[in-house]
Parts: sequence; structure tokens; C-alpha cells
Amino acid sequence: MATALAERSALVIGAGGLGGPALLALVGAGVGRVTLLDDDSVETSNLNRQPLFGEADIGQRKAVAAALRLRRMFPSARVEALDRRFDESSAAELVSAADVVVDGSDNFATKFLANDVAVQAGKPLVHGGVLRYTAQILTVLPGKTGCLRCLFEAPPPPVAVPTCAEAGVLGPLAGFAGSIMGAEAVRILSGLRGAYEGLLLVYEARTARSRVVPVRMRPGCSACAIAPRPAGAAPGEAARAVPERAV
Amino acid sequence: MSLSEAEIARYARQLILPAYGPVTQEHLRAARVHVVGAGEVAGPALLYLAAAGVGTLFVDDALDVAAEDPAAWLYSADQLGTPRLLAALEALRAATSLSRPRAHATAADPTAVLVCASSGGLARTAAERARVAGVPHVVATAGGDGGEVIAVPPGAPCFACAARTGSGAPVRPGVAAAVGALGAVELLLILSGASQGPGGRRIELVSGRPCSSATARVPGCACGQGRSA
Amino acid sequence: MVHGGGREGSSRTLDIAGAVDLRQLACPMTWVRTRLALDRIAPGEVLEVVLLAGEPLENVPRTAEQEGHRVALREARPEKGEGAWRVLLVKGTGTEGGVMLP
Repeated sequence: MATALAERSALVIGAGGLGGPALLALVGAGVGRVTLLDDDSVETSNLNRQPLFGEADIGQRKAVAAALRLRRMFPSARVEALDRRFDESSAAELVSAADVVVDGSDNFATKFLANDVAVQAGKPLVHGGVLRYTAQILTVLPGKTGCLRCLFEAPPPPVAVPTCAEAGVLGPLAGFAGSIMGAEAVRILSGLRGAYEGLLLVYEARTARSRVVPVRMRPGCSACAIAPRPAGAAPGEAARAVPERAV
Repeated sequence: MSLSEAEIARYARQLILPAYGPVTQEHLRAARVHVVGAGEVAGPALLYLAAAGVGTLFVDDALDVAAEDPAAWLYSADQLGTPRLLAALEALRAATSLSRPRAHATAADPTAVLVCASSGGLARTAAERARVAGVPHVVATAGGDGGEVIAVPPGAPCFACAARTGSGAPVRPGVAAAVGALGAVELLLILSGASQGPGGRRIELVSGRPCSSATARVPGCACGQGRSA
Repeated sequence: MVHGGGREGSSRTLDIAGAVDLRQLACPMTWVRTRLALDRIAPGEVLEVVLLAGEPLENVPRTAEQEGHRVALREARPEKGEGAWRVLLVKGTGTEGGVMLP
């Protein structure tokens, strides 16, 4: 199993509250190549929940600080750090080069872009979010499970959702969600069944209650409708096997 | 003592949580948490508790850094063979200067305990000690593709009543950190008073998915003595 | 505890129980300071907030509403400085707001 992981690659969007723990899990597991993207600098208010950064990193570029920390902890790891935003100009190329996409971004525009591009490219996507005392996780297997747009056709209108800057987050809850996302990505890369394939988990921390919502492909979903079927797959069997690496 | 400007800036994202304010943060600062263990479950928990502003952390571990320990978030490959206790203290101080990590000693007087032992026996002993001392505690253990976090606030059924035997298998990547982070969540909820629902509860991670239930006292258990049914 | 008389009357007769100036602050400290100031007054009392047009003006009152408070007034006050606005928030009784994905 360790050998198989060494030949796999993961793309992690964001190196903060969710991406940080996910990166620690992926790099620690021995995934062959891990690419991280973050276009932000470390701020003091990040430190309650972003484990890759300490006080000395305040003011540093997150991509740079994250790579330094990961390489110091795991010297033999191959970590590629990109100090830029995940946007239309870079998304398709980055996703096509990865075997799994882990979305630790903190805004809906990026989450929906990651969803659309992953579905288009036929790559598994581990989606997660944390807001106040609630965490959510969903694994999208294109062609097999529903995607974010099967759940909602479009991102919620800006007025409906507090901006990340205005919303509180319980630090270790982000650590819980990000670690689960990392564990899930490793499962998928190992050829195992994901725990969240087509299942949206909503975990409310104060009551410790979980809700699991099945996410099936919705006829008319604008993202799934234009996605290619993964090569050689029968309908419904699509992404169970580890996807072939793009050369 | 009210929060400093540095604390307000550092804990901004917590201060704006519902049912959480400056007084809550001051309570965290006054808290003294004994964390048992400094391995792959405890490491993330220690970091998050320090990062959240727990004033004093007692680190309690007797092992040396081993090759698999960087998975605990606190250690680097160049620290192999050095005591985990010292490396953990160093890592926590580097993470934040607003929390004081100290080596645990028998004279330490914690206000809460987080047990992250690798073996059931150690967990049971540490949990029982906390129960007898009348201190709220949380026990987090991981094995295979899962684990459990058991919260024992004052008066709740004890760990021995609630625990199930673990798998004992090597922990899958990310799972130990998830369990440790969840243990830190439960401990912060107890310290901040923000917990809702049954006070004593067990959260099990099965194949990566959490499932929780209220804990129940085993009839006749010592943890029920002196309480009405 | 005496509740302030901010409930009836127009903006001219509202009693200001607290005030905060956010113009030197950046996100997330704009909401943090507002929230801390709201914590210090009683439900029904009024907090005066001076902030800049643009992102603070778009986000701070909206977040306050989501958290159960009421925006009693929102007016441009250019005489205080470029882009300055004055917002009056009436503290609610502590409901929690926020939309999460289902």
C-alpha cells in the first residue's frame, strides 16, 4: 500500500484551517507528490486553527511557510507549493495533474470552481467546510456520485452567508474536519472505498450530532451534465478504481 | 484580568462565536489542562489547546521521538531519539507565546484532563485518577480506521462505564489527528460551557465517520456513588 | 439592570449606550470590535458604529442582523471623513444567525 501511495499525487487547495491538517495527513502518509496552493499571508488570527504556522510565521506567505514546515517534518516528501489563487486560469491544469483534489478553501466561489473542474476532469474531490460549530464533508466521485451543484445549482447568494471574515470558527473543529478530509483522500488514493462517497456529513460540535445526507447525481445538474465519463467505466462503476494518471 | 490587545487579535475568530465572549476566553486562560500522552493523538490536541489560549498545559510523556512520530505534528525528523516531552514543549512554545506549556509533575493541579493514551490500560488509569480528583476529563483513543472520544464532565458516567475495547490496529493516516482534534473540541466545549445536549457522551469514529451517543452509568459503578439515580 | 430606551422613537431620540469607530480596522477586526462592543451593552440598547463605505459597510450591519440585532439607522456622514458612515445597531436578545449548508 505504501508503494502505491508513493506513485500518487494530491492537490490541496488552501494550507490553512482545513488544508493544513489535510496536508499533514497526506504528506505523513507518504503520498508521492503533494501540491498545495495558497495566496495568502499568515495573520495572527489564523493561529487559533492553522497548525502549519506558528507565531514566527506571522507576515510570511502561507505557501512558503507551509512548504518549509512540511519539508522539515518529512524531509523525503515531495511538496510543491504554489503561492497563487486557485482560479479559472490555473484550475484545469492543476486538477488534471492530480489523482485527488482536496478543497480546503474558505469561500464558495472557489469551492464551486473546484467542484466544476474536478467533475469536468473526472477526478475525485474531497470537499469540506467549517463554520462556527459545524463541519461538513463530502466526497465527489465524478460520474458516480452527485456533486456540489447537484446539491445546490449555484453558490448561495452573498447576502445569505456570512463572509469567512465575519464568522467564528472553533479551531480544533477545523482540525477535525481537515484531518478527516486528509484521511479520506488517502483512502481514495489507496484504492479503498471513501467514507464520504456521495454522502454529505454535517457535524454539529456542541451537540455532537451528525447528519448524513446522500448526494446523488441530479438530472439537469450543469456540472455533471457536461462531464466526460471516465475512460472504460460502465455507468455507476465509474470512479471506484483509482483513476489513471494523466501523463 | 481583561484580555490584552494581542489576545483580542489572536483569538478574534473564537471571540465572535455564539455563546462565547471575552469572559470565556479569560476562563480558558485560567484553565490548567493536563494532557496525558504526546503521540499522534495528543500532538494535535496539544497544539489546538495551546492555540485556543488554554493558559497552562501540563505535558506528560515518557517516550523518545521515534520514526513515525512526525505524524504527531509536533516533531521533526531531526529530533529522533530526543525525549518527546522536551520536543513537545519546544514545539508548543514556538506555536504560541500566549499559552504556557510545562512538564507535568505530581504536584500539578489541573482543572481538566485530556487523556490521549495509546493503550486502554493507561487510559483507564489516567481517567480514574481524574475522576477521583473530581476534575472534568476527556479521553481520546484511536486504532485502525477509527477511534473514540469520551467526555466526562462533572457528574457524568465515567470512562470505564463508557469505553469499548479498541481495535488495537495501527492507526490510518489522518485518523489519530482527527481523534485528537475532536478530543480538544470536547475539552474546549467543557471549559467554555458551550457544550449542548448530554454532558457525558461518547463520539465514535467508525471508518472515518462520527457517531455519538450519551454515556450511561453501569449500575454499581463507583462513579455513581453519592449520586441519586 | 435598566434597559435603555432605544426601542421607540426616531433616530434622533435613540439613546446611545456605546460607540465604536471601525475606520482604522481591517477584517476580521471590524466585526470583532463590533461584537465585543455589543457584548458590553444590554438587549434593547443602541450601539453607534462609525465605519467606512465598501466592505465594512456591506458586511458589518448584515452580520449584526444575522446575529439577531437590528439595524436602526444607516446614513452617510461625509463630514466625519471620506467614506464615513454611521450605523446604529439595536442589540437583540441573543439569537444566533448564520446560514450553513444543509
